[in-house]
Amino acid sequence: MTGTFAFTAEHEALRNTVRRFLTERSPETEVRRLMETADGYDPTVWSLMANQIGLQGLALPEKYGGSGAGFVDLQIVLEEMGRALLCAPFLSSVVLAANALLTSGDEAACAEYLPGIAEGTTIATLAVTEASGSWRADDVTVTADAQYRLTGEKLFVLDGHVADLLLVVARTAAGPTLFAVDAGAEGVAREPLGTLDATRKQARLVLDQTPARLIGEDGGAAGPLERTLDLAAAALAAEQAGGARRTLEMAVEYAKVREQFGRPIGSFQAIKHKCADMLLEVESSTSAAYAVGWAVDAGSVEVPVLAPLAKAYCSEAYTHCAAENIQIHGGIGFTWEHPAHLYFKRAKSTEILFGNPRQHRALLADRLGI
Amino acid sequence: MTDRSGLTEAELAAELRAFLAEHHPGRAPKDPGERLAFLQAWQATLFDHGWAGPGWPPRWGGMGLPLPLQAVYHREMAAGRAPVPPNNIGGIVGPTILTCGTDEQRARWIPPLLRADELWCQGFSEPDAGSDLTSLRTRAVRDGDVYRVTGRKVWISGAVHADWMLCLTRTGSQESGAAGITCLALDMHAPGVRASRLRDMTGGAHFAEVEFDDVEVPVSHRIGAENEGWAAARATMGHERSTSLAASGMRYQRVTRDLLDLARRRGQADDPHVRDRLAQAVTGARLLEWSGQRVLARVLEGGEPGPLASVIRLQHGVFEQQLHTLAVDLLGPYAQLDAADPALASGERHDGNWLRGFLRTRASTIGAGTSEIQRTTIADKVLGLPPEAGNSRSTR
Ligand SMILES: Cc1cc2nc3c(=O)[nH]c(=O)nc-3n(C[C@H](O)[C@H](O)[C@H](O)COP(=O)(O)OP(=O)(O)OC[C@H]3O[C@@H](n4cnc5c(N)ncnc54)[C@H](O)[C@@H]3O)c2cc1C
Repeated sequence: MTGTFAFTAEHEALRNTVRRFLTERSPETEVRRLMETADGYDPTVWSLMANQIGLQGLALPEKYGGSGAGFVDLQIVLEEMGRALLCAPFLSSVVLAANALLTSGDEAACAEYLPGIAEGTTIATLAVTEASGSWRADDVTVTADAQYRLTGEKLFVLDGHVADLLLVVARTAAGPTLFAVDAGAEGVAREPLGTLDATRKQARLVLDQTPARLIGEDGGAAGPLERTLDLAAAALAAEQAGGARRTLEMAVEYAKVREQFGRPIGSFQAIKHKCADMLLEVESSTSAAYAVGWAVDAGSVEVPVLAPLAKAYCSEAYTHCAAENIQIHGGIGFTWEHPAHLYFKRAKSTEILFGNPRQHRALLADRLGI
Repeated sequence: MTDRSGLTEAELAAELRAFLAEHHPGRAPKDPGERLAFLQAWQATLFDHGWAGPGWPPRWGGMGLPLPLQAVYHREMAAGRAPVPPNNIGGIVGPTILTCGTDEQRARWIPPLLRADELWCQGFSEPDAGSDLTSLRTRAVRDGDVYRVTGRKVWISGAVHADWMLCLTRTGSQESGAAGITCLALDMHAPGVRASRLRDMTGGAHFAEVEFDDVEVPVSHRIGAENEGWAAARATMGHERSTSLAASGMRYQRVTRDLLDLARRRGQADDPHVRDRLAQAVTGARLLEWSGQRVLARVLEGGEPGPLASVIRLQHGVFEQQLHTLAVDLLGPYAQLDAADPALASGERHDGNWLRGFLRTRASTIGAGTSEIQRTTIADKVLGLPPEAGNSRSTR
């Protein structure tokens, strides 16, 4: 066990700052407004996030314009974003794309792209999945010719419709390879997908002989991609833990005030027991997410085992808590105007993102050498 | 006695490993009678070398280790497959005496308890007072310098071998509920005490029924004030619980490795459904360990153990059952055999242990308060939900 699970005063200060910012800038009314827009985020809030509190650059290395904080700090930010259902391309740009660059080992590319990501002036994303939905480099069919021009179709690309920089995994003669594509390059067509979770947009990319820049080694995308996805899974687990905790709070608050049969519904054991089980899952999710975080910061060899473990657990826990929250709210919980369904949709969507719990447990079993 | 409270974590681990290398008694015998004597001897060895009661005060024979060192202690004991000491109930009784007893009582009872020279049991439950302990009926009537105790306890772990019972008795009116309960240290060898083995569903006789017929208990054996035994009973584990629960999380790391080994040996490790359940078992064991660690971290910072401490026990019971259910599924047709059948032996292993665990862990969600009661307590005490009508006194 690597972590100590002891949050420092700095951690708490960060959490408070982020929570205050999001309470002010991402209340439910804003979430609902933005989820109806095509872009799905507010550029003003995005740049305030970067300039006022430096969230985009928080965990990026100082030499690339970041603040060099740890992975646990990044998770704290994501946990809070998960609570607030923030609509912003943070997971795609700061977690997926930035880590794809960092793990590629391509210093020139890092020096060129990361400062923009840290400042929030570049929105980036990582395009791996295609019609199959697979995140494995082996399953990629988009091709790159000898001049590194890309052709093919990517699906489920997080924030692909607004990203400036598209990091695309494509197949060369040497194998799966990472490329950088300028969103404005010729032969790029982008189209938003209708999503279950309207608070996080996805897109389809069609590439037709699109000029691209090689990142890292030709044929060398598989290893870095695997590492990137482990980190993304760990980050998402923290977001899920944050969302799950919020659904528990909502359920408990409501159970204390809603009266039926002359007493609060929270005095009925059926409701009490649901809430107790939710607490168990919320606390366990928090443990799982931060266990990976501490392992990442400690440079532990256990990260590849802990990341799929956390992702699988937190996914199911969040979906379950979000569903129970609706149940505890009864009719109002099924009503569009109530936020319960927003969490339920975010939960289900993130459960599937990067591979579902069964796939992650299969990965865990493989990596444990079972 | 050696004071190890100032060692670094690495030093303590090294000393404990060296101690285990020299004194490890090997595997405990299966025969219940031999087993108890073996474990008592082991506990005495621990005590005599200053390795008993990691968190307990040195004044009464404990080690007085700060919490991080307690965690190291439990981890090394688990990793070294050291036998788990007998008198587990002593782990609950001891802190009660330490917290609520007088110095005289501490000096009288704690050192022999820690050395397992004297065994204790916890006499709370009665035929008509299980989850609702506050309705207990065993009477204690003051008569000069003694209480006269009459009544019946049931499902009392280790009662047959116990020298003492931490016994909850009714001193107030039957309607007084929690407010009329007194906690006594009752000598199990006193006239009028009769403990009879009660077979459990595993076929073992782990617990017993105990009858009291006008048993005299000196007033000086009362723990805490008269009619205030309820508080004493609740002041059981406190912070001690977090470290020992963390320890069981560590033990389960090892058990899940054995489970993976079982899956391979039984040729089931390629089945995707089995692999999914194995991954879930690994997850559950890790979560238990992390929960323990988080509670520990909280306590180390001087905080209260927090909500997590309340969910660990719930988590624990459910996890143990899932783990053993999976193990038994892996045994396939062999799960139809008796746990002791030689056909379950393969090399070094005896897979009958999984079957024993499978049966034993049905109690994991009942003993020491059922999972339902635990959930209600979490909802009320941790989440602050309003009490159930007509059940405002959650008792466990
Ligand atoms: C292996 C083992 C060892 C034990 N060791 C000891 C010991 O050493 N000392 C000791 O004092 N006791 C001991 N016990 C007893 C144990 O504490 C009780 O069995 C337990 O508290 C439950 O009480 P009960 O058996 O009377 O069940 P009941 O209280 O009758 O419960 C029966 C069922 O009803 C449910 N139920 C009851 N009340 C409620 C409620 N308010 N809300 C929802 N559901 C409810 C319970 O959850 C359970 O499912 C032991 C038990 C076992 C199995």
